Amino acid sequence: MHKPRILIVEDEAHIRRFVKIALEKAGMTISEADSVEAALIDSACRDPELIIVDLGLPDGDGKSFIRELRSWSEVPIVVLSAREHEKEKVEALDAGADDYLTKPFGVPELLARVRAQLRRIARINRAQSPASQIRFGDVRADLNSFEVTKGGAPVHLTRTEFRLLAALAKGEGKVLTHRQLLEDVWGTGFPDRLHYLRIYMANLRQKLEADPARPKHLITELQVGYRLLGLED
Amino acid sequence: MIRFFDTLWKTPLIRSLTLTTIACAFTTLLAIYLFRIFDAPNLVALFMLTVVMSSLRWGRVAALWSALLNVVSFDFLFIPPRLSFAVTDTQYLFTFILFVLVALIASDLGNRLRRDAEIARAGERRETAVARVAHDLSGASEIKQIATICSETFAPLFDAKVILLLPDEAERLRPVAHGEFHDLHVAQWAYDHVLRAGFGTETLSAAGVLCLPLKAPLRCRGVLAINPRNQAALNNADERRLLDACCASIALALERIHFVDVFQKTLVRMEGERLRNSLLAAISHDLRTPLTVIHGLAETLETTTDLLTTDKTEIAAAIRNEAEELQGLVTNLLDLARIQGDGVKLDKQWHSVEEIAGITLARLGPALERRQIKTSFPHNLPLVEVDAYLFERVLFNLLDNALKYTAKDANISIGAEADDHWVCCFVEDNGEGLPPGDTERLFEPFTRGKKESTISGVGLGLALCRNIIAAHGGTIRAAPNRRTGARFEIYLPRGSAPKFEMEDA
Repeated sequence: MHKPRILIVEDEAHIRRFVKIALEKAGMTISEADSVEAALIDSACRDPELIIVDLGLPDGDGKSFIRELRSWSEVPIVVLSAREHEKEKVEALDAGADDYLTKPFGVPELLARVRAQLRRIARINRAQSPASQIRFGDVRADLNSFEVTKGGAPVHLTRTEFRLLAALAKGEGKVLTHRQLLEDVWGTGFPDRLHYLRIYMANLRQKLEADPARPKHLITELQVGYRLLGLED
Repeated sequence: MIRFFDTLWKTPLIRSLTLTTIACAFTTLLAIYLFRIFDAPNLVALFMLTVVMSSLRWGRVAALWSALLNVVSFDFLFIPPRLSFAVTDTQYLFTFILFVLVALIASDLGNRLRRDAEIARAGERRETAVARVAHDLSGASEIKQIATICSETFAPLFDAKVILLLPDEAERLRPVAHGEFHDLHVAQWAYDHVLRAGFGTETLSAAGVLCLPLKAPLRCRGVLAINPRNQAALNNADERRLLDACCASIALALERIHFVDVFQKTLVRMEGERLRNSLLAAISHDLRTPLTVIHGLAETLETTTDLLTTDKTEIAAAIRNEAEELQGLVTNLLDLARIQGDGVKLDKQWHSVEEIAGITLARLGPALERRQIKTSFPHNLPLVEVDAYLFERVLFNLLDNALKYTAKDANISIGAEADDHWVCCFVEDNGEGLPPGDTERLFEPFTRGKKESTISGVGLGLALCRNIIAAHGGTIRAAPNRRTGARFEIYLPRGSAPKFEMEDA
């Protein structure tokens, strides 16, 4: 069976240890790095399939590492950061990270995020062109024909709602920042339309979620952005 | 034509002369009637009465006119030879002179009486006005109110524009109310030298305003700039005295407000000190308990080699629980410190309450399993302007409390509703309800519903909630739920939501 290669970039040894134990138990091979330099060397020669990066590293900023890595690699990146540093998270995501975990985090959550990213990259590698049919929960959407059904019954989405859904689907489960979504749906030049995003997101939930107050698929990442969870192949 | 007479009538002299003439005519008619009964000399008194009365009422010119008219009609009608102006008896000449003299004296007297009365009336108006200014000032508790009194009560009194100027931290004067003020240098001079400046004074007398320093017992508190419609009116000594009196009471009011402010700040600081002390006491207990547990359990794992696997799992789970407890406590503490610190800057944006509640519910995830949670958010709920991170903390604490303090089978619901001015967000349950007594006490730090409860926490949660909601200009309160249980309500002002246009169908 294939054992995914994971790189952990974290200077705190105890955090490295429990992450390593958890991931190894889940059948992955782990390499560790405690600095940006070591991380760059490791990712260049061992070609990991996923990288977990702490944003505060002794010899540099996790964000600059992400930026440098993104110039030659599409490997999924999961960021670790403290809760109150929303801005840092957004910057890391805008720099190219795919997901983040807030410290302190639990092992089940970590595993879920890592697996989701591995699935996403596997799906992207399998299908060269993005799928036009998407499914999550009991919702089916055809991105070409603009047809959406929920539990088999057709649902009418406005054009903007549909564009938003398509943008979320394109992210394949990764966190999309407000800026990324605004640019994708409205184009550049509307950074002050955050409330539009929130209103359209509420509309989408109203139409597609069973309980809009407890969404299972259209997930809010507080102060950061949104993600579409539960996409099926 | 009518207007011409109207104008004439409004001229005081014409009016008094007309009225005097009518009075004389009336007297004459009366005298003609009485002449059948009385002798002419006795009728003199009647004419004299008319002279005196018109003198008192209508002044000197009217007095002389009245004397003349009365003498003429008396002479013509009653003194032999009657119906002629010839005077046969010289003693009547004396009567004429007497008429004129009485007229002059009476009119003089009347004038003096009238002047005294006017002065008294003006004085009374003043006194009422000053008393009103003083009364209004005594009720003022904010600088803004004083500025309003200056422009609304004070200004009409002198028929002037009155502007209150107060010093900033660098001792530079600024007008309190918005608006243009061009003579700032005059006011500044008056403030710096604690002397009056502007027109009618020795300094900068070419200015269009008069600037009076507001001298309070301890120091000069500001400047009152007066821009009257008629500058000459302010030059009289009475007006000046009145102005000074008013300035003194304004200065006193400013000083009083200043010291109330100082007092309140000191009180807040003392309260902060007290809070910090009780905080330290409470924290040292509440932090140490879970730390001791974690330390002890970890040591057990480390040193006991023959533990059963189930025991190990249990110990590890206990460590995790305690760590989570600590984490919650630390987060609340850090947030409270953040919001209570000076210059806390809220990152306010327009958010959907439902969305933030969704995050809270997701974050509480495992704790919500096997619990009855109902959500009710109307679809047309307006957005609210909040710091999402802090508002989420509020909802989290309220829901966390509801979970902690109710039995496993209790129903909990979270939702929101809106009226024209407020968005009300609520968390309610049908558990045991609130502890008896004042519900406001729940929001004080280190107050818990039950003393010595086994449920952990120092009672920071609700204090944090209140601080956060207050920083948003809203209120939070606890009330009994309909039949049983507790209901926490957050009221946030609706504000004016940003423009939103539905872009398509």
